[in-house]
Parts: sequence; C-alpha cells; structure tokens
Amino acid sequence: MNDADRRTKMMQLASGAVFLAIVVVVALIVVSSSNSDSGGDAENIEGAAEVSRSLKGIPQNGMVLGDPGAPVEVAEFGDLQCPFCAAYAKEILPAIIETQVKNGEAKIDFRNFTIIGPQSLPAGAAALAAGEQGRGWNYVELFYKNQGAENSGYADDAFLEAVAEAAGVKDMAKWNKDRAKLTSKVEETTEEAQQLGFGGTPSFALKGPGAKELEPIDTPESSEALEEAIEGAG
Amino acid sequence: MSYPSEDNLRRWIAFLAALGVGVATYVAIAESGGGSPVCLAGGTGCATVAKSSYSHVAGVNIAIFGVIGYLLLLASAFFANDLVRFGGFLVSLGGFGYSVFLTYIEIFKIEAICQWCVASAVLMTLIFLLNATRLIAYGGNELQEAR
Repeated sequence: MNDADRRTKMMQLASGAVFLAIVVVVALIVVSSSNSDSGGDAENIEGAAEVSRSLKGIPQNGMVLGDPGAPVEVAEFGDLQCPFCAAYAKEILPAIIETQVKNGEAKIDFRNFTIIGPQSLPAGAAALAAGEQGRGWNYVELFYKNQGAENSGYADDAFLEAVAEAAGVKDMAKWNKDRAKLTSKVEETTEEAQQLGFGGTPSFALKGPGAKELEPIDTPESSEALEEAIEGAG
Repeated sequence: MSYPSEDNLRRWIAFLAALGVGVATYVAIAESGGGSPVCLAGGTGCATVAKSSYSHVAGVNIAIFGVIGYLLLLASAFFANDLVRFGGFLVSLGGFGYSVFLTYIEIFKIEAICQWCVASAVLMTLIFLLNATRLIAYGGNELQEAR
C-alpha cells in the first residue's frame, strides 16, 4: 500500500471513529436523561444545588421556613412519599417562598401526615432530624425531587441517609440519633391532621395574627389561591 | 494549508498529557480513601461529583481510566509513525467524547461543577485537537521522519 492509499484508509477510519464517538455520546446522554425520571435512587440524589439556592438566606427553625416573627403561619401537612405533595412543592410553593416567605409575611411549617405507607414514618422522622440541624426544608424538597414510586420500598435507610447528606446535614451521627427519637413527633402531627379533619395530602391550615388555633383551608390549587389565602389571614 | 511541525505538535501533546496525568492522579488518590478532591475557593462541587454514581464505571474510579488514557497519550508523543498517530487520535477522541458526556452530567444531572473535572476536560479537548491536526497533517507518512 502506498502513502496515498494508506492516508485515504486512515482518514476513512478516523471519520468512522468520529461518527461512532458522536453516536455513543448522544446515546449515553439520552440513556442518562431517561433514567432521571425513575427517582428513589440513593446513589443519585439530584437537585441539591438547586434546592440550596432556592432556600438560601431564608431562616429555618426546626421545620419552620421563614421569619419566626412572620404574622401568618401556614401549616402544610404532607407525606414525603406522596406524589401530589412533590408536585405541589415543585409547582405551587416556590412562588410563595420567593415572595411572602422571603419578605416576612408568612412562614411555612411542614408537618408530617403519614398516609402513604410504612416508610413514610421513618422518612418523616428523617426530615425532622434534618430540621434539628437547620436543614429540614432542604431535606423535604430534596426528598420530593428524588421521590420514587409510592411504596416501592425505595425510601430505605440508604436513601434517607443519602438525602440527608445531599441536604447538607453536617452531623450525621446526631441526625441518626435524632431520627430514632422523632418518630413519635411524626405520629403526633399525623394525629393532629386527622383531628383537623384532613383526609389527604397535602393539606393546609393557616393561623393569622391574633388567632389562637390553626384554621384548616381547602388545599389551594394555585400559587395565587394560596397567596390570597395568606393575605386573607394576615 | 500549513500545519505546525509534527515535532511541535508532539511537544504540546506531551506537555498537556503530562498535566493530565497529574490532574487524574491527584483525583484518583484523593478519592481512593473514600474522600474527594479539594475544590479551589472552598466550593463543594468536587465532593458532590465524587460521591455521585457517575464517578465510577464497573466499580472502578473513572480517574484511573483518566490516568491510563493520559499515559497512553503521553507515550504517543514520543513516537512518529502512523500507528501512534492513529492510536493517539483514537484515545484522545474517546477521552474527549467521554469528557463531553461528563460535563453534561455535571451541569444537568449532578448540578455541581468540579474544577478538576473541568481542567481535565479542557486538557483532553486540546489534546484531541492536536492529535486530530497531527493525523490530518502527517497521517499516511509512514516513512517521513519527524520534523
């Protein structure tokens, strides 16, 4: 084979290799994108940076997000395994957090109302334990972002731990101790939700300035509706 | 079209591949004990990336593949024949393609940027361009002495 033939052959092989590389990279990207919807994967907790950005600068006390002195308290009763709660957290709450919570009009208290299945209890306690270290809302939002199929068994210890680490819980040993203690608190708020007459999640109750007790409301179906309810209570 | 001399291309490939060996070796050692590389300016992106499942393929840290790849590229700079020109092109094409995939993963999936990964991606891109130039300019010149 002379130099020109060899060169032609090499260029053909190189072009083929480039084509193959493009196909492989595109296939890898497509496969990894389609995997993202499965959720519940302790190995791949996604969205930590986004959650951290959205909550940056907002005070967190236990499971209360927002200025402790805010005149209106919004109690959200949710189950971490509940897909409607996850959708609500993604579509409706961000606008409220960005406006009424950030400007000190309202604070949101996440309370567990475990209705989906047995893993909802340890999951709820795990969130409360993260709340003990000022990361409760990071935990809840990150859990929702990585939520798996209801009662598929994904919310095991490995998943709960992975969410805690990604949520920025610093002292994991303390978190582990706290979550064992806090299951009773999850049961308490679940009872409270039943007493308030709620039958599903997410459910909401408001307490305005001067009010002594939480007032249950129908779950607002849009950010605007929740915003109006908060203004009405304030 | 005039190309840089093959000697110059080989020098640059050797220099960049040596830097790549350094970066990949640091990341491999930092992660070997379950730790993660230290991000400059105190960011946490490196820890997030190191903990993700994408940092390992078949249980092997991808930084190890990086070290091997950069060593092969470094070796390819010491010879001037068609086998190493084509081999260097293929290895750097693979490295470049995988860097594109990893950068996509960092931005859109892990949502964290590790400066060491970015450094490696930049080095691999440059090495790929140099190897592509080398192949186009000097491929098929089996008997040509290095200039």
